[in-house]
Amino acid sequence: MAVQVHVTSVIQKAVDGQRQVAADGNTVGEVIANLESRYPGFRATVMDDSGQLHRFVNIYLNDEDIRYLQGSDTALSDGDQVSILPALAGG
Amino acid sequence: MPRIPRAIIDEMVAHARADLPNEACGIVHAREGVPVASYRVKNAAASPYRYLMDPMQQYRLETQRDESGETLFAIYHSHVASEGRPSQTDRRQAFFPPAQDDNDFDRDPAYPGTWYILVSLAEEPPTVRAFQVSRGGIVDEEPIETATLLSVLAAAASLVYRWVRARWPWLFW
Repeated sequence: MAVQVHVTSVIQKAVDGQRQVAADGNTVGEVIANLESRYPGFRATVMDDSGQLHRFVNIYLNDEDIRYLQGSDTALSDGDQVSILPALAGG
Repeated sequence: MPRIPRAIIDEMVAHARADLPNEACGIVHAREGVPVASYRVKNAAASPYRYLMDPMQQYRLETQRDESGETLFAIYHSHVASEGRPSQTDRRQAFFPPAQDDNDFDRDPAYPGTWYILVSLAEEPPTVRAFQVSRGGIVDEEPIETATLLSVLAAAASLVYRWVRARWPWLFW
């Protein structure tokens, strides 16, 4: 599946400063692997070694938070938009 | 020096009071660098000591900025009983990934160039202060200049003047 990945703020550094990148994959996890193959280090930006998404990163498929879908196993369709944002938190 | 309309300062303070006993959080948008609106965001941590911006609301505001051409000007939150400067948690969480301890700041801010505004309800009247974080864990405070309606109109008029002058220079021959 060909999808567009929209990357915000500091995470853009992981894809050579681009705001939007095209990627391939049947699931969000495969898209992350696809981006890792082109931009080494990308995977570690969004998930830990065990494949768990970092809690300080939010990923959306179209207009839904993938934590409420199937996480990195969430299936994709052609033309989907995946958005990745750093979470905002503090004390 | 961040220049912020009085109405936006007042709105952030009103939000901080409304969300007591918990911390309040939100986002300020700008147009051409001038703050134009503040948005209350739900504190998903629902705590007097922590905030976590509701991820969906955060995302919708991001989408709204993309569509409207507005930019992220500031991220604000309240301290309900402590002073209005970034706490240790605020400092660590401002970096990406968050710093694990105070010797762990060799990383980038999550939202570089964005103001962090702290509304403290520890004193009456509440204080509103602005900070910027940069690589290495440095936190700089800058005094907020409160813009009144008149100064905002003057700034807008100056923008219009510069735009007209650039577009139709012959008007000024």
